Amino acid sequence: MPRVTALAIQTNQLTKRFGAFTAVDRLDLSVEQGTVVSLLGPNGAGKTTTVRMLATLLRPDAGRARVGGHDVVTESEQVRRLISLTGQFAALDKNLTARENLVLMARLRGRSRSAARKIADELIERFDAGAFADRLVKSLSGGERRRIDLAAGLIDRPYVLVLDEPTTGLDPRSRQVVWATMRELVTDGVTLLLTTQYLEEADALADRVVLIDRGTEVASGTPAQLKTQVGQQRVDVVAADGEAFERLTGALDGSFDITPLPEHRMVSVAAPDEVADLARVADTVEEAGIAVDEIALRRPTLDDAFLALTGHAPQTEEAQEQEVAA
Amino acid sequence: MSALAARPASPRRGGSPVGFVRDTVLLTARSLRAIPRVPERLLDVTIQPIVFILLFLYVFGSAIHIPGISYANYMFPGIIGQSLAFGVIGAGVATSNDMTEGVIDRFRSMPISRLSIISGQVMGQFCEQVVGMVIVIGLGLALGWNPHLTPGHAIELAALLVFGMLAFTWMGVLFGMLVRSSDAMQGLGFIVIFPLTFLAGTFVPIAGMAAVPRAIAQWDPISALVAAVRQLTEGYHATGSWQLAHPTVAMALWCLVIIAVCAPLALWRFNRKLAS
Ligand SMILES: Nc1ncnc2c1ncn2[C@@H]1O[C@H](COP(=O)(O)OP(=O)(O)OP(=O)(O)O)[C@@H](O)[C@H]1O
Ligand SMILES: [Mg+2]
Repeated sequence: MPRVTALAIQTNQLTKRFGAFTAVDRLDLSVEQGTVVSLLGPNGAGKTTTVRMLATLLRPDAGRARVGGHDVVTESEQVRRLISLTGQFAALDKNLTARENLVLMARLRGRSRSAARKIADELIERFDAGAFADRLVKSLSGGERRRIDLAAGLIDRPYVLVLDEPTTGLDPRSRQVVWATMRELVTDGVTLLLTTQYLEEADALADRVVLIDRGTEVASGTPAQLKTQVGQQRVDVVAADGEAFERLTGALDGSFDITPLPEHRMVSVAAPDEVADLARVADTVEEAGIAVDEIALRRPTLDDAFLALTGHAPQTEEAQEQEVAA
Repeated sequence: MSALAARPASPRRGGSPVGFVRDTVLLTARSLRAIPRVPERLLDVTIQPIVFILLFLYVFGSAIHIPGISYANYMFPGIIGQSLAFGVIGAGVATSNDMTEGVIDRFRSMPISRLSIISGQVMGQFCEQVVGMVIVIGLGLALGWNPHLTPGHAIELAALLVFGMLAFTWMGVLFGMLVRSSDAMQGLGFIVIFPLTFLAGTFVPIAGMAAVPRAIAQWDPISALVAAVRQLTEGYHATGSWQLAHPTVAMALWCLVIIAVCAPLALWRFNRKLAS
């Protein structure tokens, strides 16, 4: 393996344009060896573009990026020996079976035929893929392909593992398998960069979260730090009808910090004490005998995070296109 | 659960000539596996020659008389040259589709030589062309082609066809990387390659053509190929230009030039196009 430095990933003013549109805009990112960093952002934020530049698949237009101290443009060969990317879309040969794909990738990574077969067997077992391992990839479901794709990224124990939205489209059980595998690799010293749209996933795995929007960092920190910035959890109470909504607002006002949302017949209650607050709100509603459809404790979502940290909701792709056109 | 941790990092160093050959072989084998699984692809390389065989043998052929040679023996060398040239279209269409496949991204992010990805593609396409050519020749022999070959000429012919298919496949793979889509490749094939195959003395002698097509035909590489096949199988000599008078040498030179130009361009294009 090529010699490496303490910073597993470092980008300086990394920029990528597609025509007039800047997908990644002077991004500074650093990932220390052996840590897990999550790149969190809405659709079109530039997550995929960033990781593709790191994996030497896209050439930056300005700025630079290093993996293990090696430049992704001038030392791309070393970088390819250090990094393993499982992209957002399955990177498998659809005319081969799942197993044949794994064996091929292992052979291309220098394994003998028998060693490659053994690795494929191990990975198939780990990802619980035995039932479909001998079917052609083109006949597999999206989630099944995803699992094989993730397995193909783990043939060698990589120095830096990059996973682009690894669990999107996976059922809860497969998601647990993927999370467990990632944790195991991290324990083993692998550096992990993962992109996700789910705060929950970043929370479960990452040491540090970098929130990006329109190609630039808008905030970063540990999941706990981000969450305090985002604000606490809330209890949302949905009244059964308009009259109940009026009574609900009256009953909760005073004892709680509330935000009434009449158009949804909903009262949103700040819940700094989380479950305890949920119980208190429920008790209040019960005692007043107000008819409600739903009472729920809600974690801050990615939307909340954006609102809190950027002051605007995550931009939709249409809005961006209009901006480019303007 | 410690299996992943226990596995040592990959033993390969990459970049060596041995590694290049090994990767090319692995990637070629991968392409070949697709042939029986996607039989339509083979149909693509055989259907056109079959249509032209039937058309010229049974429809137009009766109106064409070439002195000193039966029309079947005149036409089949033309069909062979034409199928070889159609290989450019076939390889181009397949390549422009293959290059958009997600698996190419995985290969590109792995520590293997990028040239091996292209040469794997070329070899895979080449093997498809060989299978297609065997089918076309088999059909020709069944339908009345009667080539007069000495063993020496047979070897020379086989070598020339293999070399020709390799060169034309490289050209197709390059075109497949230059075009925007496989539809564009189809269009290019129809507008450029299709006419060139008809000009090449394939079905009628070049000498009888009007001045402009004759001038093109005299320097069309496919003409050299067709003339070479006809010379080897029938001892039939064409005239009109240096390359028609020395078709085997001319064809070998064409192949060398095509490979020398297309291979580096394809590599350059592969690195550029996909990285932008
Ligand atoms: N090849 C390309 N040509 C033109 N525009 C592109 C290209 N690739 C990406 N973009 C644009 O760049 C922006 C960032 O794209 P990117 O795929 O990096 O987003 P992302 O954060 O991965 O989004 P998602 O969550 O949807 O995967 C998007 O607006 C996208 O439309
Ligand atoms: Mg993406």
